[in-house]
Amino acid sequence: MSGFEPKIVGFLCNWCSYTGADLAGTSRIKYASNLRVIRTMCTARIDPTFVLKALMEGADGVLICGCHPGDCHYVEGNYKAMRRFPLLKMLLDSYGIENERVQLEWVSASEGRRFAEVVDNLTEQIKALGPCRVRTAHELDMAER
Amino acid sequence: MENHKIGVYVCNCGTNINKVVDCDEVAGKALEQPGVVCAKSYKYMCSNPGQEMIVKDILEQGLDRVVVSACSPRMHETTFRKALTKAGINPYFLEMANIREQCSWVHTDHRAATDKATSLTKGAVRRVVHHEALEKRFVDMCPATLVIGGGITGLSAALELAEAGNPVFLVEQSDHLGGNLARVDLTAPYLDSAREIIRERILRVQANPNITVYLDAKVTTVDGYVGNFKAEVQPKGEASSTLDVGSVIVATGYKPFDPSVTKVFGHGDNPNVITSFEFEKMLRKGNIVTDKGKPPKYVTIIHCVGSRSEEYHPYCSRVCCMTALKYGQEVKSALPGAFVYDLYIDMHAFGKGCEDFYKQASEIRTIFLMYQKNTKPDIRPAGPKDDCEMLLRVDDRLCGEEVDIPTDLVILMVGMEAREDSAEVARLVNISRDKDGWFIESHPKLDPVATTTEGVYIAGCCQSPKDINESVAQARAAAARILGKIAKGRLEVDAVFAEVNQDDCSGCRICNELCPYSAIEFNEDLHRSSVISAKCKACGACVTACPSAAIKGRHFTDEQIFAQIEGVL
Repeated sequence: MSGFEPKIVGFLCNWCSYTGADLAGTSRIKYASNLRVIRTMCTARIDPTFVLKALMEGADGVLICGCHPGDCHYVEGNYKAMRRFPLLKMLLDSYGIENERVQLEWVSASEGRRFAEVVDNLTEQIKALGPCRVRTAHELDMAER
Repeated sequence: MENHKIGVYVCNCGTNINKVVDCDEVAGKALEQPGVVCAKSYKYMCSNPGQEMIVKDILEQGLDRVVVSACSPRMHETTFRKALTKAGINPYFLEMANIREQCSWVHTDHRAATDKATSLTKGAVRRVVHHEALEKRFVDMCPATLVIGGGITGLSAALELAEAGNPVFLVEQSDHLGGNLARVDLTAPYLDSAREIIRERILRVQANPNITVYLDAKVTTVDGYVGNFKAEVQPKGEASSTLDVGSVIVATGYKPFDPSVTKVFGHGDNPNVITSFEFEKMLRKGNIVTDKGKPPKYVTIIHCVGSRSEEYHPYCSRVCCMTALKYGQEVKSALPGAFVYDLYIDMHAFGKGCEDFYKQASEIRTIFLMYQKNTKPDIRPAGPKDDCEMLLRVDDRLCGEEVDIPTDLVILMVGMEAREDSAEVARLVNISRDKDGWFIESHPKLDPVATTTEGVYIAGCCQSPKDINESVAQARAAAARILGKIAKGRLEVDAVFAEVNQDDCSGCRICNELCPYSAIEFNEDLHRSSVISAKCKACGACVTACPSAAIKGRHFTDEQIFAQIEGVL
């Protein structure tokens, strides 16, 4: 599908990744404009339902970014996110959603360039996958009629 | 749903945002959103007229929610919250959309950037509707301070605080105070004695009854929060002590680059190739000699060893150029007949008095040669007919030719690097490091000594290479920040924390184990958990984990985030 511009929602922790994203800005590093960032204090706050909600609302991909393991502002919040992530992927598989649409990456406050690369790579990956087709029960009902 | 009156303010940031994002369009689209009663695009929202505009609209139009689409909330959230307070509404009725750092500065396509700014603003509008009024929270401020590091920075900070009448615990890892400066002879550019500078500080610290010095000691844990930290100090071979402190100053300094590890310029193998610190030792003894015990006739100084190089550290260590010029002066003064060659890449003489100092170095006939960045002058043994120990070949950019310099002693101007324990210290006090290992300040220009952990400050070279005056200035700046808090007595802290709805709590205790701060207590009688708000740092781990959805993460509730997701898509 040519010209497909995916919508991607990013959940970024306040201390490392959001700051890293800000650093990409102050360093004027350019990257794809498909990401819409939502800030949480820690990746541990990112409820899997946030990810599902984003996909239901029409996101084609979701990025979760937190501090590198061992560097969490809240000691170990990112480990909690890390453990939830494989379960979330299993859930996506069972719903028939390609689990590559959801990515977990570690970006520190000093990694502005890395943040830009992560966004660019994920955007390319989602472009290759094409639009995400999640339908609510209501939409399915409507489609069947 | 109750009817809200939302005001949206789109900042142009001069041209920073407006040159890529069509701010008028973003404001126009915002006005179409339900609840938005006014939407404006303005040159500088953070300016006084910008803030006054918000205050005026709140008062005149009865706004009860405000969205500012501008820079990162990390930059100006506090500024705009104050404007809301001034207008008499709860400061948490604000939401910011980051359309500068995360939009106009990172995108070039006007259409795409404007669309992105529009959806980020829409996300903020949707979210802010669900914002709740949060009450201020106050905590006591303990007037004592923990200072980690007993170099010039730590000593200066300790004195500033203690002389204002406050207790200070100064913890030094080695067995003496003074840090790296205690190893230096004279200082540039005024040739004052480092020994005198440092000794005066040490004597004052030792004489001050408010300062407790721990030598040969390590800080093993720092728990708690601003105004109320508990630190554990472990002196070698003694029982550890628990200290109650309100603030922490990290002044752990730097480590000189060690060229012997990779044998830069043969250091480690060739005894007549020494580092600047090894040369300082000779100067302090008043005995400049080669390994044969003879005074050198030719002294060569090489700049930028370990600094400004692709191989080691990319940054400039800032103090070495002036130190090198100082060596020229000290060699000429001790050995009037000696020749001094100064091999630099670029001469950085940016400080006060430094350009004059550079001129003085020329006047006493220091011979300057300029070598190319990322090349290394080559050192080889001299022949039997030469009156020197070594010959140093350098491609001199000033004359454009390769020249051989006679040399008896080579001084490597080693740069500064982050200490090996910097990661450990960062974890101890919960602050971040940059790619080179230096601690990260809250804002590089506007908040240079604060960190992302409230109550923890950084000063001196642990933040990045700097000279003595800059280190002392930072030490005193950090102390001033703390004195301001001590003067207040009680601190207003963020009203964001988690709370357990007692009616919904099933008493499963999952959250109890998850909390990294032990901020959740369990009431055995009621069989319910509750959050000790002062201990909670609002990470939200418990909120997400609670199977009964009984825990609310204030200001980051499910409703708020769901609404924002809907808005941005």
